[in-house]
Amino acid sequence: MDLSLSWISDFTKVPTGISAKELGHAITLHTAEVEGAHSQKESYENMVIGKVLELKKHPDADRLNLTKVDTGKEQVQIVCGGQNLKEGMLVALALPGAKVRWHGEGDLVEMKLTKIRGEESYGMICAGEEIGLETDNPEGATEVRIKDLSHLNVEPGTPLAEALEKNDIVFDIDNKSLTHRPDLWGHYGFARELSTIFKSDLTPLSEWVPTQAPDSKEAQPMASIENDELCPRFSMAIMDGVEIKPSPQWMQARLEAAGMNAINNIVDITNYVMLELGQPMHAYDRQVVDSDKLVVRYAKEGETLTTLDEQEHALHPEDPIVTDPNGEPLGLAGIKGGLKSGINDETSQVILEAANWHPIKVRRASTRIGLRTDASKRFEKGLDAKMTEVAIHRAIALIKELCPNAKLISEIQNFGSWQEKDLQIELRPKKVRSMLGLNISKARMVEILTKLAFHIEDKENTEDSLMLVSVPSHRATGDVSLEEDLIEEIGRIEGYDQIPEILPALPINLPKENRERRLKHDMRRILAHQLKFIETLNYSFYSKNRLESCGLDEEEHIRVKNYLSKDQTHMRLSLVPNLLEVSRKNEKRFPAQSLFEIGHIYEKSGEYMPKESKSLGLLIRRDKENPFYEMKGAVEAMLSLFQVAFKLLPSRQASPMAHPKMSLDVLVRGKSIGSLYVLHPAAHKAMDLTGEIAIAELNFNALATAAGSEQKFKEPNKFPGMEFDVSVLVPEKKEVGSLLKAIKKADKGKLLSSVKCTNIYRGKNLKEGEKSVSFKLTLQKEDRTLTQEESQVLQSEVFLALETEGGTIPGKELLS
Amino acid sequence: MNSNISQLKEEALAAIASASSLDALKEVEREFLGKKGKVTGLLKGVKDLSIEEKKSTGKAVNVLKNELNEALQVQARKIEKEQIEKALKEDWIDLTAPGKEFERGHIHPLYQAQEEVERIFGEMGFTVVDGPEIESEFYNFDGLNIPADHPARDMQDTFFLDAPADETEGRLVLRTQTSPNQIRAMQKWGAPLRIIVPGRVFRNEALDATHEHTFDQVEGLLIDENISLADLKGVMTEFLTRLFKKEMKVRFRPGYFPFVEPGLELDMSCVFCDGKGCRICKNTGYIEFMGCGMVHPNVLRAGKVDPEKYQGWAFGFGLTRLVMMRYGITDIRHLTSGDLRILKQF
Repeated sequence: MDLSLSWISDFTKVPTGISAKELGHAITLHTAEVEGAHSQKESYENMVIGKVLELKKHPDADRLNLTKVDTGKEQVQIVCGGQNLKEGMLVALALPGAKVRWHGEGDLVEMKLTKIRGEESYGMICAGEEIGLETDNPEGATEVRIKDLSHLNVEPGTPLAEALEKNDIVFDIDNKSLTHRPDLWGHYGFARELSTIFKSDLTPLSEWVPTQAPDSKEAQPMASIENDELCPRFSMAIMDGVEIKPSPQWMQARLEAAGMNAINNIVDITNYVMLELGQPMHAYDRQVVDSDKLVVRYAKEGETLTTLDEQEHALHPEDPIVTDPNGEPLGLAGIKGGLKSGINDETSQVILEAANWHPIKVRRASTRIGLRTDASKRFEKGLDAKMTEVAIHRAIALIKELCPNAKLISEIQNFGSWQEKDLQIELRPKKVRSMLGLNISKARMVEILTKLAFHIEDKENTEDSLMLVSVPSHRATGDVSLEEDLIEEIGRIEGYDQIPEILPALPINLPKENRERRLKHDMRRILAHQLKFIETLNYSFYSKNRLESCGLDEEEHIRVKNYLSKDQTHMRLSLVPNLLEVSRKNEKRFPAQSLFEIGHIYEKSGEYMPKESKSLGLLIRRDKENPFYEMKGAVEAMLSLFQVAFKLLPSRQASPMAHPKMSLDVLVRGKSIGSLYVLHPAAHKAMDLTGEIAIAELNFNALATAAGSEQKFKEPNKFPGMEFDVSVLVPEKKEVGSLLKAIKKADKGKLLSSVKCTNIYRGKNLKEGEKSVSFKLTLQKEDRTLTQEESQVLQSEVFLALETEGGTIPGKELLS
Repeated sequence: MNSNISQLKEEALAAIASASSLDALKEVEREFLGKKGKVTGLLKGVKDLSIEEKKSTGKAVNVLKNELNEALQVQARKIEKEQIEKALKEDWIDLTAPGKEFERGHIHPLYQAQEEVERIFGEMGFTVVDGPEIESEFYNFDGLNIPADHPARDMQDTFFLDAPADETEGRLVLRTQTSPNQIRAMQKWGAPLRIIVPGRVFRNEALDATHEHTFDQVEGLLIDENISLADLKGVMTEFLTRLFKKEMKVRFRPGYFPFVEPGLELDMSCVFCDGKGCRICKNTGYIEFMGCGMVHPNVLRAGKVDPEKYQGWAFGFGLTRLVMMRYGITDIRHLTSGDLRILKQF
């Protein structure tokens, strides 16, 4: 909302010697956020009213004139191309130093003393568009017209800002910070705030808006309200003898400062009252309506209305409307008037309306229709119904001021079930101090509340005695209803900057530990800092297309009803689909990738609340080599760093995203908590991926529960160990696991302290379909040194066992 | 004999001194002290000598051996030293050539910040609490004093889920704020309570450089007897000072959030100009940081806490925005882009 300082000054004295910035700052700190302040005066610096004294042709240019202009101080020569220039005319004169927009286009240009075709020009006579006024040069016009300001009737030399009444300072208030303050949607409301902040006087509303007596009672306004809740109050008055014309300069200037366009005097007055008092109004052409009776009701299916902006709207049964007695819709109540009954150039009689509408009904209708107006913005906050009548009185006074022949030909009538309520709140001074953390005197509390128009009863009248606070109607709109609301009033006016900083005493009980949360950060460090993975952060949803590409079942997903884009329709059931997308996006720049994510996944639970769990997803991508074993190693290292005892077993039922033959389940205490696998070739293709991709996805909640299994220290062995290597040739499909098992079984004397598979070789020197698997065996006993014989016996047992498994050991004779 | 010895000594010392490499020195050692060396040779005729002479000759030879060994060592050290000096003169590497690339991992900047925030509040006695990202309308709105048709519901464009509604809990939504956990925590633990709730929230808003439909917040709640806005000022000043590692200031101004009363906006001194005024803080010296206020009695009641006995404050700030501010990230979409060129910077 745009707030004019000059308008506010109608009601209260704003302290002098305080800059616009400081004033804006005070409003921000005490009332509502000021987003900016704009001084109109600054745009008109070095511009004055000039009077054209002499006019002759430029000796060297047909279309230019040489003028002698009175600047108030001196007579200067100015070169000007305005075709409408006349001697005696008052013009807008931009002197050297002024900033104008040439022909209304481009950036501002600073005026300088210059020569045009050999003739000196001391500044410029401006066209409207060059100084932010209405243009007289419609597009395509062949001659240039400057702004004729003769009607202002001021002395040459008058600063232009003053002559045009452009000496206002306008604050831009953030509407969001007024959501709960319907009383601040007009200038009077802000004046009340400023008078409280600066402890200055405020003109009472009753004084500012005196009661208007009817000139006659020939008309009898009538409203029939079909739904009490919809319209608690509907005020009307009827006037005759109005003459439609432009409103005076001062009113146009105010409207413009507040961000509204001037239209004609009657429409401008309704807007002016709204901007002043916060109460929207409407004026109907009485002759078009052809009745003094208005009907308030909900629209019916099939009804339509063309609003003032010439838009036709199909009405909905929940839209509040005003109709004539025949049921013809005249306007969208609280939103916008109808085109037909609107004020036009011929209007001479008006029905004035100021009503109070149900905030939610207006909000719903305005949202549904997609029409948010200055009126609906106010009504949806829940306005003070008392103001409808005040607004009517104010409008009548303004109409009489602007149209001296106008007559009020009816009484001011109020309809509706509204009655002023008496709302009282108990306020404990001790509670005020305790919540604000501020030692504030009761006298000051009373002063603040009284300035804001609250009324206080205090029977005991001691420093801590209970006060009974009556809420004025403009704050009893739902905004102030509790003791806490009054505490806020006191706090913000006294100034939150007065509140000291205190650190609360630490609690005696230690805070509860959130182990899972800590472990989550530990896991991030393990993966990123020890295992070189990169953490990604992905959305909680994906598309139907993506989940189907990954082979997931759409039915199992929770869907977003009002999704933002087709890519974000289903709540993720796995982290993998979005991780794959990250991989795809980066594959050209980073062919080698190790990625991870920890985040929520969402499953249907069969109950109201879905089942949410934390998941850990890992992805390794390599250009050529299958990263399965890298992933297996990474998962093993990760789990051991996380101190989880685990087993990896071939998947009983592999994930639909997994290559069914290349998938291992991760078992913790016998239960599967996730799996690691090579991406299913179908998903690989459907997701348009290249390279080789291995995945692991684990339930993080289960991991966190299992983390930190006891780890025992093992004393390094004092007795020397022995090692030997063995390589065995086996068919390609022989599993390394079964060879390891055979080796361990052959060790009857339990001499082996470790067996490691050190290499698997295929290719050169080997037959097709054959591989060579190498093991390193370490023999060691904790209580003695082993003998050469023992080693040799074990070796031959191992050879035998491997041969029994179908292997051949090249060079066995040489070894033994 | 003695003259033989002294002659041999001269010869040997001269040979040692002229050896210029360790190999040459080894050769000299073999020539004189080897099994068939010249010094050993001295003992050849000894068996014909008298016992006295045998003794004195043996002794003299041993002395000679020791002297020569000593000289060999000295010479060896000298040669080594010369070699090192020579090497130092000749050695060269290209110091400007790049270091060998060491692959390393990266934690997302958002979670680095999240952990830091959790640590600081943890040190101030706050418990870190988790909550569901899918919430009921009750916890996300009604319980927070935001009834249906309240304009505040419009301000937070909400994602609804395609799932049956519950009679008392309402529809399922993606939480628009971390605040539902105020009520969940009060219901679970009662008062006094001192928690923070960091987590992901959702708004049904079109994406642009400053708006994301998915971002992270941190909620805070402190409830006890006699907790005031002064404590909130103290805690936030301390938190921000520890987070930014420099003296920070905060200021309150009026704000509106239905679940607090009084409701406040908290601004922090501008981290870019230290409050002096710059383009980023629009010359105010302050940057908007968070909404906060005293917990509304209706919210305390929804959490089954007695508003006559307990009072306290709550706050919620955007962690995502904090991260952007900290690193000077101007486009919020970078954080969820998954672009490894970005993630590898952190």
